[in-house]
Amino acid sequence: MSQTAPTGDNKPNPEAGSVVFKRKGFQFMGLGTQDFIRFFFGGNASLAIIILILICVFLAKEAFMFFPQHHAGLKDYRQSGQEFVDYIGDEIGAHTNLYSSANIAYFAEVNRTSREEDDILRAHRAVLANLENLTSKTWGRFEREVDALEDVGDDLEDLDPAKEEDQPKIAALQEEKERLEKEIVKFRVELKEEVSAAINTNEAWELGVGSDAPPPESLPKLREAVLFEASPEVDEEHPYIAELKAVSKAKKAAAVEEFADFKATLKAMQDVVRPLKSLHSEIRSIASENKAVLVKLSTAADRKEAWIKGAAATKDPDEKARMLAEAEKVVIEAPDYDAMAEPFYEVIPEHAALIAPIDTEMAVLFQQLPDKVETRSAHENLKRAKVYYDRFVKTVAENRENIKGWSHEKPVSAVESVSSFLFGRDWITNSSWHDVYGLLPIFTGSLLISIIALVVAVPFAVSAAIYVNQLAPLREQNFVKPAIEFIEAIPSVVLGFFGILVFGETLRVVSQVEWLQWVPGFPMAERLTILNAGLLLAFMAIPTIFTLTEDALNNIPQALTENSLAMGASKLQTVFRVVVPTAVSGIIAAVLLGFGRIIGETMVVLLVAGNKIKIPDFTEGIGVIAQPTHTMTGIIAQELAEVDAGSLHWRALFMVGMVLFAISLIVNFSAQRVLKRFQKI
Amino acid sequence: MHDQATDPPLQKSENPFQKKITPQKRQDAVVSTVLRMATYFILICAAFIFLDIIRKGAPVVFQTEFPFVNTKFFTDSPETLMTFETEDGTFYKMDFSDYSQWKRDNPEGRIVEEHSHAYSGGGIFGPLVGTALLTIICIIVALFVGLTTAVYLNEYSSKGRFMDMVRLAIMNLAGVPSIVFGLFGLGLFCFVAPVITGEPQERSILNIPLFGGNFLAFQGWGTSMIAGGFTLAVMILPVIIAACEESLKAIPMGFREASLALGATKWQSISKSVLPYAFPGMLTASILGITRVAGETAPIMFTAALAHKDKLPWQDTDSIGGFFSQSVQAMPYHIYTVAARIPQSEYTKPMQFGSVFVFMVLVMCFAALSIFMRINYRKRVKW
Repeated sequence: MSQTAPTGDNKPNPEAGSVVFKRKGFQFMGLGTQDFIRFFFGGNASLAIIILILICVFLAKEAFMFFPQHHAGLKDYRQSGQEFVDYIGDEIGAHTNLYSSANIAYFAEVNRTSREEDDILRAHRAVLANLENLTSKTWGRFEREVDALEDVGDDLEDLDPAKEEDQPKIAALQEEKERLEKEIVKFRVELKEEVSAAINTNEAWELGVGSDAPPPESLPKLREAVLFEASPEVDEEHPYIAELKAVSKAKKAAAVEEFADFKATLKAMQDVVRPLKSLHSEIRSIASENKAVLVKLSTAADRKEAWIKGAAATKDPDEKARMLAEAEKVVIEAPDYDAMAEPFYEVIPEHAALIAPIDTEMAVLFQQLPDKVETRSAHENLKRAKVYYDRFVKTVAENRENIKGWSHEKPVSAVESVSSFLFGRDWITNSSWHDVYGLLPIFTGSLLISIIALVVAVPFAVSAAIYVNQLAPLREQNFVKPAIEFIEAIPSVVLGFFGILVFGETLRVVSQVEWLQWVPGFPMAERLTILNAGLLLAFMAIPTIFTLTEDALNNIPQALTENSLAMGASKLQTVFRVVVPTAVSGIIAAVLLGFGRIIGETMVVLLVAGNKIKIPDFTEGIGVIAQPTHTMTGIIAQELAEVDAGSLHWRALFMVGMVLFAISLIVNFSAQRVLKRFQKI
Repeated sequence: MHDQATDPPLQKSENPFQKKITPQKRQDAVVSTVLRMATYFILICAAFIFLDIIRKGAPVVFQTEFPFVNTKFFTDSPETLMTFETEDGTFYKMDFSDYSQWKRDNPEGRIVEEHSHAYSGGGIFGPLVGTALLTIICIIVALFVGLTTAVYLNEYSSKGRFMDMVRLAIMNLAGVPSIVFGLFGLGLFCFVAPVITGEPQERSILNIPLFGGNFLAFQGWGTSMIAGGFTLAVMILPVIIAACEESLKAIPMGFREASLALGATKWQSISKSVLPYAFPGMLTASILGITRVAGETAPIMFTAALAHKDKLPWQDTDSIGGFFSQSVQAMPYHIYTVAARIPQSEYTKPMQFGSVFVFMVLVMCFAALSIFMRINYRKRVKW
């Protein structure tokens, strides 16, 4: 369009002066004002495009430098023998998991018989603590008075009544003492009143998450005992509590007797790995030393250079000489990997000799675990122990091969450095042993939160869009549409703030409600969970999905609707059989873009998701939503400020950013493809 | 109405105007009610969040006596709040500066039960100023580059595959998460961007010698106001370009053609008969940009923001360069700090809800303005 427009600028005009359109004067190197204006705009446009290209370049540069560095780190990990040590560590870890589950089961069984008493005792402790909190101010003042009284008493003792000059002091102190004693009496009464008022409040009876309420018939006695112990004069146990304690103790002793076999099995389990554990800690320290040596040697060149540079910069000759001497001292040499690996090769037969009996004995011991237990906790933990046993057996079998075939010279492939990032199951940083950068925990966290948010947001947003666009009267439309668009403007940090201070607690309280217990994951022990973050993000995504869906519905040709109505379809039949199916591509695109918005959201998840770096435990099914997690965006925001520029950790975070970038591009791109593909209808 | 077609033929005895309630109608009513409830549920949730924040935040900002607004909250910067009790049981609550003064005035007062609550005293002047500065820098840069780019793309550039690709890329970048822009800003503006300096730092990538012993050193601007402003500008650049181009496209071709036909130059026709009509649309875009930028936390977290700063930006420096290269406090980052990085207690609540209330109201005002302007603009402009 613009090319064909007759600007009349660049063409030479031989008849200047005689024409109506006179050319303006300014010209430079054959270019007129219009050309410069054009270049100005063009230059700015290319600047914008260059900046946007730079984004990709910079991200890619910082991110892909991660892999060579990561590769070197993995190589060090292998050559220092840490990998070897971790094989044995895995076996011990697998055993520990098994043992601790069985142990929990054991204690659940032992405590079963005295459960009722224990519940009452636990409630007793909780209520006492609550009361103390509720009356802490008066308590503090009371105790201060008591301390002051003691001080006065001490002072009195120091003074000698026989001495003449002490008499006035003694008299003053006596007076003070009497005053304090009176105050204390007064405070006692006050405290007693406060305690008896506080015990009637609901806060006093909050037992904390996960503890069972004591049986109702014990409540009057419990209350009496608490009141008795909370009063300031008493420093002893109420007889009821003492009795309960004795009963609980006796019952436990009987139960221990009953489960003596179980206990013996557990003990045998623990004993059987002891030699392996000591071997592990022995070689672990060797590997640690190796790593320290490697780090020292790898930084030697830099340190030497720094000393020399420092020497060049300083003016003091003594200082210069000292620095040069320091530089001389730094040894640059290649590490002797063979010598480092030597001890590990020696350990291989020893390990084989140790692990074989452990394997067979554990099989026997595992069979000895009781299969019939009464409490639910014990049952679940034994079930878990079964899973852990299988895992243990698998680990031992795998690691037998790994250890036999271990070689410090085996090269680390490039694929390994990529795949251990993309599919790594751990993200461990700032550890003294070995940092691991695995994407899976944070990726699953982000994905889980996004899925929950979408599952909640899509029905609401789409039905709101259908209602507003197709069914609502015009006046209602004019109110609802801007109102929902308005939600989009809520800053994410405000929503996150709301989640952490208000919504989290509300959600936790709601999850304790009796008749909601069918919801998976309820009751929730924590405030900051996947569910909390998911619901808030759903709220954030609703306006995006709503607006785009509404647009898509708006773009449906009027003729389609009119035809359908003319055929005798009702309004809703038209909506659901004609309008929505036609707009489905737009709706899919809207959902995709909503997903893009959710997965890139930072502040809400940083504040609300709980920030625990671990792959969520899926054994509970959908109940996984009650766990805390960490996300890709959250981890960048949380850790980037604390790492050195250019370090492996820093590059790992850039790599996470790159993954986010890729996800958002793919989502946007596919949304556009979907739109285009279906738009041809 | 429309569904009369499905009605059975009339019988003579019946009232022909009586509405029939068929099962289909009943079903329609039920489904429609469900959809309506979903719509209003969203609005109720939003209203709940607003009202909750207003209920808890408004008492901090407003007061019952003259001048009805807690001026101290708007004119002080965040401080540590001290709570303590003296021996005689009187309870005191004051900012740290007042606390030092009090201690000087009452040297004999024995303090018991002393607690400090970080960032919970004082007001929010520092963060407000910081956010305003960041937003202004960002909007100036983004509007300048965004507007000119949009003019070029819509008025000057030739149509073709290349330009389509550029548009597609810009549209795609609009959806990139803000934290990724933060990473980029950190990489480019904090570590690589050029500065003119006499003594380049060691990390500088490239030093170009200039006159007078100065260098153009590519060493980055460090964590600074200007780095944060530019990062934010890059973040909303795609949005601004798209919005400005949209409003340019809405101007009918006839305006340009008529102007050119009258003998105006290209630039004259753009400046006289296109830009003035596109102006309201661009203003809306820029206000929308302000709304988004002021609320963003992630991109400034490591490029510009700082949790605590004693002095206001103009007290800290005497040169213009120094002014722009200092880090600032910012409202969203301040909210993040008081929400998640300090131990919670009842004394931290006023600061938390007060700042969120003020921040939300500010951002919402801009948002409301942009929505209002857009609706108005659509109503008014009809060619």
